[in-house]
Amino acid sequence: MGEAQKGLLSVIEKLKGSTEQEVRIVLLGLDNAGKTTLLKSLASEDVNTITPTQGFNIKSVASHGMKLNVWDIGGQRKIRPFWKKYLENTDLLIYVIDSADKKRFEETGLELSELIDEENLKGVPVLVFANKQDLETASPASEIAEGLNLHTYRDREWQIQACSAVSGEGVQDGMNWICNNIVNKKK
Amino acid sequence: MAEEDSEWIIESIVGYLGSPEWVIPVTDFMEHKCTVFDDEDENKLSYTEIHQQYKKLVEKLLENYMQEVGINEQQFLDACTSPFAKSQSLQDMFQPVLATDDFQVFRSLMVQKNMELQLQALRVIKEKNGALPECLTDGVDVMTELEQQEMKILEEVLKKSKEEYDEEMSRRLLSEKKTGSTSSRSSNKPNTEDDEAREATLTSKQSNSSKRTPDSGSSSIQCRVLPALRSPTKSSKSSNASSHQTVEQSDSREAAAEAYLEEAHREAGFSKPYTELLPSEQEQLQQRAAYLRQQRDKLHALKKEQQKIRQTAALEEPPASPTPAPTANSEISAEEKKKLQKRKHLADKLKEEVIKK
Ligand SMILES: Nc1nc2c(ncn2[C@@H]2O[C@H](COP(=O)(O)OP(=O)(O)OP(=O)(O)O)[C@@H](O)[C@H]2O)c(=O)[nH]1
Ligand SMILES: [Mg+2]
Repeated sequence: MGEAQKGLLSVIEKLKGSTEQEVRIVLLGLDNAGKTTLLKSLASEDVNTITPTQGFNIKSVASHGMKLNVWDIGGQRKIRPFWKKYLENTDLLIYVIDSADKKRFEETGLELSELIDEENLKGVPVLVFANKQDLETASPASEIAEGLNLHTYRDREWQIQACSAVSGEGVQDGMNWICNNIVNKKK
Repeated sequence: MAEEDSEWIIESIVGYLGSPEWVIPVTDFMEHKCTVFDDEDENKLSYTEIHQQYKKLVEKLLENYMQEVGINEQQFLDACTSPFAKSQSLQDMFQPVLATDDFQVFRSLMVQKNMELQLQALRVIKEKNGALPECLTDGVDVMTELEQQEMKILEEVLKKSKEEYDEEMSRRLLSEKKTGSTSSRSSNKPNTEDDEAREATLTSKQSNSSKRTPDSGSSSIQCRVLPALRSPTKSSKSSNASSHQTVEQSDSREAAAEAYLEEAHREAGFSKPYTELLPSEQEQLQQRAAYLRQQRDKLHALKKEQQKIRQTAALEEPPASPTPAPTANSEISAEEKKKLQKRKHLADKLKEEVIKK
């Protein structure tokens, strides 16, 4: 993108005349991880009628005086190549994992490490939700963090948060981390 | 920068946003690309590609404009953030510009445009065949009387809109010749294109709607055009007239009817970003609602007129035969019938979205 275009976009941003801080969050993870469920529960919407996402969903959530624009993109294998089209200007990545789906831990780890290498996500903080903790077979967050080698990330803030998108447990803790982090980052 | 500078720059920008150099390419883009935009909650991947193209178009247009007028980005920015730019009518004009930066604004503009074209298409069919073919109307009997009335009003509105649209097309053609515009729009633009484009719209929309999962629609459809008609409100005509001058002027091409639909969509919370309203946005919405009420009043007046005419007509001639089917069938080829069948689905869908809601 050339200088001129960047300038124009900033002009257009100002046109909105909004003083509220807007934050762009991208929600990624394998299919069936619970991204859309998480998104809907963040927006206080019904989570019982969710079907696999073929495209993407957007919700704007007000939190800590900020407007969080959360983009949830389908996680099916055939949709993953499109993920990178949504990464530009992202302030934060939320990566969702089905903690009970041990068979796909490796696959989800690979996808995450590819994202981490994306130019557009350079230095962008990552929150990993170890979702579906309500299931008996769920692995604990610490174990998942180890499997993902999160502790080797040196170039960005990261956090792993155990949660259940269905019961809502842990979700707010994750959001608090996000808000504290974004505030620190942006000011 | 001096205030006066901002003032003339704003005036110039507003002039540009109402000029054919801007309106034609932007409207063309929207009309050609809007057909995939439905009002499902979930977005299709293809929307993103189209939004990118739109961004490029607008950026190019604005760059050209700034170059032409000889202002730089800083001046543009200063003007746009000056107090002059904060007025309501200007904010409305800026919607298509804002849509470059805000996907949700873009999406709601496109969904709205698609809906308009669908309704125009229905009207075109009706015009061609004298009336809606039977397969498009045989669901009518399940409509309440009230809904039928509303359908008639809608048709009236669309007719007006079409007339104004045609007018605008010929005006555009004129002004194009004058300015020797080099915009990239296809050359087969004149009036004949109208019908064809609508038909294309129909077919692609049809394929969309057939993909629609049965349970996915109900909660996400937020379009509420017609219920608004059911609750006539007291007129507030004069009080709002002045604040909407600019809107009405800029709208001359698709005019009152379209503005009404547009406002109705918005009033119904059609564009998501308005769900979390700032005070300024709330004021904006209130002004829109007032404008909408005005439009509604006009429509009610129109409706009364129509009823009078119908009553007079009813006195003069006996009611038309309720079963024109035999003649119609023999005139319509099998292939045409198939086409019409498809359109029935569309009509049903429109009824569902526009009338029932
Ligand atoms: N038990 C349990 N089930 C969950 C939880 N979160 C999501 N689910 C279920 O997991 C399934 C998939 O959830 P979705 O939200 O559709 O998953 P997704 O990540 O959006 O999937 P794609 O759209 O295909 O990428 C659904 O049946 C959810 O009800 C959770 O915390 N606990
Ligand atoms: Mg999903």
